[in-house]
Parts: sequence; C-alpha cells; structure tokens
Amino acid sequence: MFTRFEEYAATQMLGQPDSPPRSEGKLLFREEWQRTVFGMALALSKEGHFEWEDFRQQLISAIATWENEACGGDITWDYYEHYTIALIAILEQCGMLDPGELERQMTPEDASK
Amino acid sequence: MPALFEYDENREAASAAKVRALEALLIKKGVLGSDAVDAVLRHFETVAGPFNGARIVARAWLDSDYKRRLLDDTPKAIAELHFPGMDGAEGEHMKAVANSESVHNLVICTQCSCYPWPVLGLPPYWYKDPVFRARGVREPRAVLREFGVPISAKKEVKVWDSSAQIRWFVIPERPAHSEHLTEAQLAALVTPEAMMGVALVPAPTAA
Repeated sequence: MFTRFEEYAATQMLGQPDSPPRSEGKLLFREEWQRTVFGMALALSKEGHFEWEDFRQQLISAIATWENEACGGDITWDYYEHYTIALIAILEQCGMLDPGELERQMTPEDASK
Repeated sequence: MPALFEYDENREAASAAKVRALEALLIKKGVLGSDAVDAVLRHFETVAGPFNGARIVARAWLDSDYKRRLLDDTPKAIAELHFPGMDGAEGEHMKAVANSESVHNLVICTQCSCYPWPVLGLPPYWYKDPVFRARGVREPRAVLREFGVPISAKKEVKVWDSSAQIRWFVIPERPAHSEHLTEAQLAALVTPEAMMGVALVPAPTAA
C-alpha cells in the first residue's frame, strides 16, 4: 500500500518494460527536457487527468512499436523519446490535446527542427 | 562531426522543443501548474531517496548509542532525524541490520519487490530479476562474489527477505581511514548498494 502517488507510480514501472533509467537509487535524466516530460506525466496523473496505468500502457506500446521497427535502421534508443510519444497519445486519448495542436503551439524555429 | 551524431543532436533538439511546447500549452490551458513538475520531482530529489539512508548510516557510525537504537527500533530511531518523507506507510516497517567483522547481511525480496524507498530510493534494475531473487537465497556467497564482494568463509552471511511487513536495510561497516571525516562526508561514501549488502563502503580517497 503506497500512501504517496509518486512512489506508487514509479514502483508500477520497475522491472517492467517501461522502467525508467536510474542510477544509484535516483532517476537519471541526461537533459532537462527528460526531467520535464517525466514530471509532467506524473503531475497530470496525480491531478487525476488520466490513470497512471493507462499512461503506462501507452508507454509500453510506444516502446514495443520501436522494438518491432528497430530493424528498419533506427537503432538509437531513447527512453524519454518514447515517454514523450506516450504522453502526447494519452493526452489526445482523453481529449486534453487535439491532434495537430502541439505542432501549432511550437514556434516556427522549433517546428523546423 | 560524423553524420550519426549530427542526426542525434537534431533529434535531441526536436524532443526538447516538443516537450517545451507541450509544457507551455498545458500551462496555458490551466491543466498544469507552472511549478507542478518541480513539485512532483521534489519527492524523488529531496524527500525520499538514498540520501536519507546514507545520513542514517553515517549517524550510526559516529554515534554508537544511535546505532543501538536504530537496531532496536528502526522506525523510532529514523524519526529522530526528522526526515520529511518518513511519514508514509513505507517507512513504518523498516528494520536495520548491521554488518560486522563476523556477519555480512544481504537484502533481497523473493516475493515481489518490497524495498525501503524512503531510505534507498529506486531499486536497481536487477532487484526484481527472478534469477537474482532465487540465487540470493540459494547461494548468497556466489552472488556476492559476482558483485565484487567476496565474503570470507569465517564470516556468516545472513539473507533478509524483504516483504510488505518488514523492509530491511543494511548498516555497512565503516571503512578504514575515515576517522577524520564529518557526518556529511561519511554519508557521501554510502551507496544504495552498500545498504543492500551487495557492496562495501570503500575507504575514502586521500584529499
């Protein structure tokens, strides 16, 4: 029984395909955006915008898609790239984000990257 | 720069831009507070984590009375240190065991993945591995040797199986040549692995 959402959420992922990178007992973020996207999904689920388990299933599915396509030449693994895909998918699924809305939000400079 | 790395850099920048835009959009929509990310991550970064366990161990090394209280009634002794993250259910069932000249303790979890979060942080990848869990019980000395911790035949190895009822952690032996260190410097030497019994705390390197 977990009394804290943060611990419940991270524990559900441990030992599973969606287990986050970590080192010495701490979450491992190479870049600030990775920390941001990890925290966003936790914060939104904690607020009740979606079930953590539903987000996890999106993440597991994003990772499985990558695994199935990995022979196509894309050998680069980036956990948080899949995490971002999963977060966008769950937000679209629960109607918090319209398809294409994120692209419109991005600056022309960002979008060209 | 090789093309492969150039591609990765672009991809990294694209991910960063996408996440920045998503955060801005969700804040604009009012569904995400501007400090929500920091607030939720604060739990992992400052409230519950291996830094707490390291402080407990350093205190026990410096204060033998504290160490005795820690072994007698672990939750009560931890409460003395006033950690903000120790009020949850996970903290209430902890039990410390001490390594010594005659005993080495190893913590595993055969049933699930019970782990004293507030003091050790996130468990390592292999903690949930069924092979590690099974071998830890059957042949702890062989497992420890593979972790780089050979235990002399004269020393007893005790294996503690964490469960929902009791979550164990190890007070490692204080390293040699650490007499001059402060509590904070001692804490900096203590790793989560040492508090699970799969590592020793190395002697401090000369300053």
